[in-house]
Amino acid sequence: MDVLLQLKNFSYTYSETKAAVLQGINLEIEAGRCYCLTGPTGSGKTTLALAMKGLLEKDGCSGEVVGPDPSDHGDFRVGLVLQNPETQLLATSVGAEVAFGLENLCVEPGRMLARVEAALSLVDLRKPLDYPVARLSMGQKYRLLIAALLVMEPQLLILDEPAAQLDPEGLAAVHDILSDLKGRGVAVVLCEHHPGPFLDLVDRFWQLDGSGRLSAGRWRASLMPSDSTVSKTAGGYSVAPVLLGVRDLAFTGHGDVPVWEEVCFDIRRGQRVVVTGLNGTGKTTLLRVLAGFLKPSRGRVRIFDAEPDPRLLRRRLGCLFQNPQKQIFENTVREELAFPLKRLGWSSREIPSRIEDTLRLCGIEHLVDDSPHKLSYGQKHLVAIASVLAPAPEMLFLDDPFAGLDGARQQDVMEILASWNREREMTLVWTSHDPGEIPSLADGHLHIEGGCIGWR
Amino acid sequence: MAGDRFSRLHTTLARGSHHDNRPDKGIPLPVGVKMLLALTLSCLAFLARTETFLGMVTAANLLVFVLLRPQGVSWWRQGRLFVFQTTVIVVLYILRFGSLAGVRDGLLISWQLFLAFWPTMVFAKTTSQAKIVRAMNRIMPSRMSFVMATCLKFAPHLLEEVRDIYEGQVLRGARILPKDLARPWNWPDLVHCVVVPAVVQGMALAGNIAMAARVRDFGLHSRRTCWPGD
Repeated sequence: MDVLLQLKNFSYTYSETKAAVLQGINLEIEAGRCYCLTGPTGSGKTTLALAMKGLLEKDGCSGEVVGPDPSDHGDFRVGLVLQNPETQLLATSVGAEVAFGLENLCVEPGRMLARVEAALSLVDLRKPLDYPVARLSMGQKYRLLIAALLVMEPQLLILDEPAAQLDPEGLAAVHDILSDLKGRGVAVVLCEHHPGPFLDLVDRFWQLDGSGRLSAGRWRASLMPSDSTVSKTAGGYSVAPVLLGVRDLAFTGHGDVPVWEEVCFDIRRGQRVVVTGLNGTGKTTLLRVLAGFLKPSRGRVRIFDAEPDPRLLRRRLGCLFQNPQKQIFENTVREELAFPLKRLGWSSREIPSRIEDTLRLCGIEHLVDDSPHKLSYGQKHLVAIASVLAPAPEMLFLDDPFAGLDGARQQDVMEILASWNREREMTLVWTSHDPGEIPSLADGHLHIEGGCIGWR
Repeated sequence: MAGDRFSRLHTTLARGSHHDNRPDKGIPLPVGVKMLLALTLSCLAFLARTETFLGMVTAANLLVFVLLRPQGVSWWRQGRLFVFQTTVIVVLYILRFGSLAGVRDGLLISWQLFLAFWPTMVFAKTTSQAKIVRAMNRIMPSRMSFVMATCLKFAPHLLEEVRDIYEGQVLRGARILPKDLARPWNWPDLVHCVVVPAVVQGMALAGNIAMAARVRDFGLHSRRTCWPGD
């Protein structure tokens, strides 16, 4: 097999940190093979992907990155799809998006059209070239992004956490594209916590251990919490009071297209409900309507025996939207937790003990005086959750709270939520883009499909 | 509702990109000419000092509007904006001069401001992002034209981020609902827990976009070619 890329004793240190993120990495990538890079959140998978693409600052690098002999392979190109497709699509139409790389390579405009059409056909995206990118689904956007890289004819394609963004349908489409590319001799590297959908394609696993060392094998998080750690509340919910009642609810999106309609359900105190649906089915919209931030086009929502009004709900409802870290703004973890307590009227005598209790229950009491901005991805996630839990809301909405977290961090978050639910009867409603993986934490499952929402 | 306002603003901005793909119904003027026309009309609106001059600038704007026939102009939204702006300016003029004599001057200033921004709206509604980039590439470095076009493209995304931050902070107890903000002592909350995280998110977004561009070899050559489509 042709070796396309070699890393020899490669190490990397970010300028703002002292410890090396990658240490003494040795690897070889061969044409037409698929590799899966596993490891916990924050272990350096994306950094290694950037190293393969040659996008790291030279100052922090040591060791060698060796490409193939130009006489055999011509210009060696690496395609890299980063995590969030939304921030990587730079043009407004499908054709312009795919052509962006060709523009950068100074390809003659007259030769662009054929290459753009060929790349779109490789990913089976059959849309007019002037079709607006904004109207594509998440799965289609991801395929468009792959086409935008394939048009530059890379010999190596790296995908960073596709499963964090894509629903099963989108993952199946990407699987077929990768299988085709392997057959064409393109090497593929997947940086992925959950390689399940791609297992049959993977020829070799690597794992980063969290200290920057790479070894052969697949990293696995400890097992998900069993029913013993996430114990169900004794007794049925049928006797608990209804906290959230929805009747004949409908929401109409842009262009008067109904997102979902005729929605009816009740959620009772202490319930743990997961709302699933493919990308773009309106899960976030549902949470925003229930919290009173969006007005439904028809129907009625009763939450805590009243119409949803954010002003009245802010003592009783907590809400974490996607990527909860973006709500962090204070200088220390202590101040971050103190903010909602002060605003929600807790006395200055109660606040310190409340912060201490919450941090202890979330297992991050040692971070109390640290800057939340300098913590790892997983720790920031826990701080954001702790700051929402601190005022002890009766109900908590979470929008895809496990996306982007490895199995161990998912378990941490799940255990925290389970213990608050168990001890304080806090009602939980959270969304997930994967209807196939329902955590044991859930005791109710609402599914959105075809504009309808129903219990499963 | 508070969130509705963000949604409407977001929809408006997002629609801007959808219009890129509507067929032009007006005279197909070159982008450079349209850009120059918009700039000239805006400058003239600022320079107008008499009613006659302002009347002539208005007539010129009407002519350009009829010729270019922009699609998707919301007269209701534009009308509301104009009424709101006029009311604020006229009230300020009356307070300043202490009599109704300020009404006429206030109306003129308001109309002048409206005419200063109207040509840009017509230009944006009748020109796609790709065409703007192509035109700008001729008069400025390709990096700069890319940055300008990308800012336009990602404005709705940034607004979504701000909306998420805003709604999350409301439920954390921040006093930033419209009724809260009627009291100036609550304004620091808006700066502290929405503006600051929004700036941080904006910088992170800029970093992500820059990385996405570098991944596709942006900056490899000092000049770029241009996609001939759209």
